[in-house]
Amino acid sequence: MKVEHINPFIASVIETFENMLACQVKVGKPIVTRDDDGSDDIIGVIGMTGTSKGIVAVKFPVPTALKSVGKMVGMEFKNIDPSIIDGVGELINIIAGNAKVKFQGQRISLSLPTVVRGNMYKLNNLTGAVFVTLPFSSEVGDFELLVSFKTVEKPVDKKEAAHAGANS
Amino acid sequence: MQVLIVDDSQIMRKIITGVLKKLNVNEILEAVNGQEAVDSASKNSNVGLIMMDWNMPTMTGLDAVKKIRAAGNKVPIIMCTTEGEKEKVLEALKAGANDYLVKPFNPKDIQSKLEKFLAKV
Repeated sequence: MKVEHINPFIASVIETFENMLACQVKVGKPIVTRDDDGSDDIIGVIGMTGTSKGIVAVKFPVPTALKSVGKMVGMEFKNIDPSIIDGVGELINIIAGNAKVKFQGQRISLSLPTVVRGNMYKLNNLTGAVFVTLPFSSEVGDFELLVSFKTVEKPVDKKEAAHAGANS
Repeated sequence: MQVLIVDDSQIMRKIITGVLKKLNVNEILEAVNGQEAVDSASKNSNVGLIMMDWNMPTMTGLDAVKKIRAAGNKVPIIMCTTEGEKEKVLEALKAGANDYLVKPFNPKDIQSKLEKFLAKV
């Protein structure tokens, strides 16, 4: 995976948090892994397909998920409920959609977002590309963005995006 | 006048509802997909503005715009979506959307967009 594949996602996370949460974020040093570690987090995941394909996922520790969604909607949340799940799904939707626009000369479609708990699911990489984990810090807590993404010579069908995602 | 918010995310519907209430719009209808939007727009003649997401299950916002226009309904529709590419914007406007707001947006963006249309109604 090339730097030009990662930068749109970093820029998108910064813009999404600035606009939707009025919150500054800082990105740390990227980490390359083969698969996700399956920790106890709230994970929003979305499939990308077209001239490039892969998945992008945001991993929020529970306190960060509660504060992030709470800040976005102006409410205080104390437990993981359907609003938090919905909010994390909308955040990954916005992050991936905004990143997609930044890829010059590519045609990319997104699947609908899926949200899972990390202690029940593990992200497996089906594209053959590695995961790049981007650690972020912010006033609402630390979180990570996982990107597994590669350019394909022959664009794949839109329906395939629905299959790129979380596996138990 | 009623405003119809169409988005499969309840959080996004809450955010838009919050902005509308600040603008003293209290008659708010919600729909979670394009089909519900088409049904609601045809049943409720007081709907004066629609905020429409694009990517939703059952029926997309773009298809809903086409169906609403095909039914002869000229209610103003603002697309409110992550689909920010120029060709997507043009596709929505060609289908009959009146304006376009790309997510992520900040509260000022959506407020000014809503004020522009509410002033006309």
